[in-house]
Amino acid sequence: MDPQLTSIIVPSEEIAHIEECLSRLVDDTGSDYALLLDKSGQVISSKGDGDRQDITALGALIAGVFASTREVAKLLRERDFRASFQQGVRENIFIALIEEQWILCIIFNKGTHIGLVKVLTKKATDELASVLERVRQQHKARDEVLGSSFRTSMEDTIDLLFRD
Amino acid sequence: MALINVAAREIHCKIVYYGPGMCGKTTNLQYIHSQVPKDVKGDLLSIATETERTLFFDFLPLDLGKVRGFQTRFHLYTVPGQVLYERTRVAVLNGADGVVFVADSNKAKMQENVNSLKELAQNITRQNKRFAEFPIVLQYNKRDLPREVLAPVPTMDHFLGVTRMNWPRIEAVATTGTGVFETLRAISRAVISKL
Repeated sequence: MDPQLTSIIVPSEEIAHIEECLSRLVDDTGSDYALLLDKSGQVISSKGDGDRQDITALGALIAGVFASTREVAKLLRERDFRASFQQGVRENIFIALIEEQWILCIIFNKGTHIGLVKVLTKKATDELASVLERVRQQHKARDEVLGSSFRTSMEDTIDLLFRD
Repeated sequence: MALINVAAREIHCKIVYYGPGMCGKTTNLQYIHSQVPKDVKGDLLSIATETERTLFFDFLPLDLGKVRGFQTRFHLYTVPGQVLYERTRVAVLNGADGVVFVADSNKAKMQENVNSLKELAQNITRQNKRFAEFPIVLQYNKRDLPREVLAPVPTMDHFLGVTRMNWPRIEAVATTGTGVFETLRAISRAVISKL
């Protein structure tokens, strides 16, 4: 099968690494929130104050913004914009790219200095890049994870929920 | 590509509605949003211009609940159809697991349909994916148009290369919901088969 069409399977132990990395980033920078997204906009993991209810929409929008800046980069004949910064009155957002596949996003207020966020984000992206590398390397069979009857059950669910 | 989070036991899939301007992509999502049960759907998010044309994308998250222990989520997106927004479409298409190509059944729109499908093929290929193997479902929308302007299905099949590519093809009237869920079922199944 086309390698680009195969799913990315993130095992439990790597999710633990990711969560640890995000928690450390939030603690060390004093940020409000850190989230790791797939380039398709799906949230892989998030850490921070309280339970945000809007996280799915946030993921879709941030990934959209980032994908859009990439197209801008192409038009400028720039290879990539590796990071972007959005400054608000209360909240700021810093976004960094990890190996064209994942997006790390940090939400912080004016109590946190952008310089610190940049430095520690760089450290975190290096760490997450090695997690991504390990995730890509391991070729766990999908049936091992999902079970062979998953597809049939999924089709039944689709027929039930998406009926006319 | 789909994302499987083993720790959280979650599966995420991204489905994009693609097609020329005013073909009914947003209408598809609006109808789905109006019909699916509350516990399945999230808010429908639209980034549109003042005249309600899609500027960036529409986004509808659907939570299918637990399937064999895995929380399964489908995220539906539309692209802006106008020619002007070609680069924006590339951005939205990023990481898609499947595409619904919505074609306009108006005879006068046939060339726009063909151009948009060609562009889609290019954009999928640019993402290093094989277009021939990529999950695609065609929806012939606006089948309620008056006979004088309605393109016959075989004509559309011919222009869009349906028989050659073996894509599922569904006739629809998105404004009334006809064929909307049939399309969603078809693309969901196609995406799941590639998981």
